[in-house]
Amino acid sequence: MKRLTRILLDGIVKENPLLMLMIGLCSALAVTTSTANGIGMGIALTFVLLMSEVVISLFRKLIPDSIRMPIFIIVIAAFTTIIDYLLKAYFPDLSKSMGVFIPLIVVNCIIMGRVEAFASKKPLIDVIFDSIGMGIGYTWVLVGIAVLREILGSGAVLGLRVFPESFQPILFFTLPPGGFLVFALFISLNLWLKSRMKPTVEGGAE
Amino acid sequence: MKNMLKLGFILTAYTLVACVGLAFVYAGTKTVIEQRAKSDLEAALKELFPTADSFQPIATSELKASLESVVFTEAYTISAGATLIGVAVKASGPSYGGQTVALVGVGADRKVAGAKILENKDTPGLGANAASPSYFVDRKSKTTFMGQFSGKSIDDQFKVKGDVVAITASTITSVAVANVVKAAGNAAGAWIAAKGGN
Repeated sequence: MKRLTRILLDGIVKENPLLMLMIGLCSALAVTTSTANGIGMGIALTFVLLMSEVVISLFRKLIPDSIRMPIFIIVIAAFTTIIDYLLKAYFPDLSKSMGVFIPLIVVNCIIMGRVEAFASKKPLIDVIFDSIGMGIGYTWVLVGIAVLREILGSGAVLGLRVFPESFQPILFFTLPPGGFLVFALFISLNLWLKSRMKPTVEGGAE
Repeated sequence: MKNMLKLGFILTAYTLVACVGLAFVYAGTKTVIEQRAKSDLEAALKELFPTADSFQPIATSELKASLESVVFTEAYTISAGATLIGVAVKASGPSYGGQTVALVGVGADRKVAGAKILENKDTPGLGANAASPSYFVDRKSKTTFMGQFSGKSIDDQFKVKGDVVAITASTITSVAVANVVKAAGNAAGAWIAAKGGN
């Protein structure tokens, strides 16, 4: 059990895909201009990650090593297309505002990386915890960045006004440079969290 | 050779399973997606022409673009009962962050009945204000950027910072949207003048 909680926590803080592994950044910075997008993208990626990791872990003994990459891509692409259809059918506004970034989940390094480095070698139970941990790790960072950027950049979150009308929005934060700045703040926050957690982790192996 | 065939067979098997799975999801969501697109369009047309009760598609090849960069993707005649009350054109033109798609309605009186942005990928907080219902070019009368086109004659100049109020710090978007509205408006007006009598 301890091992599983550690896998889960690894994804959220110690090996956070965005803040520690630093993969899958392009779409993360691009969609975080609004909180709704952050939540939607986080859930979409978590779904694709979970399903792909589960399928690949289950079939890992039936995937020949020399063609594992094309098979991973087929599995990831299938689940990405499924979430794309589902969003289009049931959440059209979200689908519209995220536009091309949903189909682009196919080439998101986080999924390919976790599938290759983890799911293709580990048993199902570990893989479920890994994908949920990574998914939460991705989503909390996305939502955090998006909330901060939206509050400062437009004075409102999810349509709710935080600052009075007279507040002059700091446009810098909705533009790409602001995204990088907020992202850097989250990296330092995560490093602080990690340093606080270290002593409690069993073995402490890095 | 034997190995190659074996690998090919395995890859085919995975692809087949993925395809069958996708086919089911596609079949399941297809009708919902189509219905949603249809009701979205009807709602948008109704917003431009509240009195309308029927919409007929017309071929976009019958419309002439006054600007080369603006492309017409769909067009509809709007009728109330048996009388033609206007034409709506879905037009797309280049803007700051990619194509901007707008639906422009023109009444039989050669006035813009209304214009609405359907797709816009410009900068949030700047160009994206073109589609925002809470960004006003005139705070007193609560006129949105798109709202200012309503009731405007299609023979006007549509010159940004002239007869069109620009969005603050987003001149490119303002010009692009004004161009799309003008081109669509002119084309719709010309169509009404040529065929509206029938």
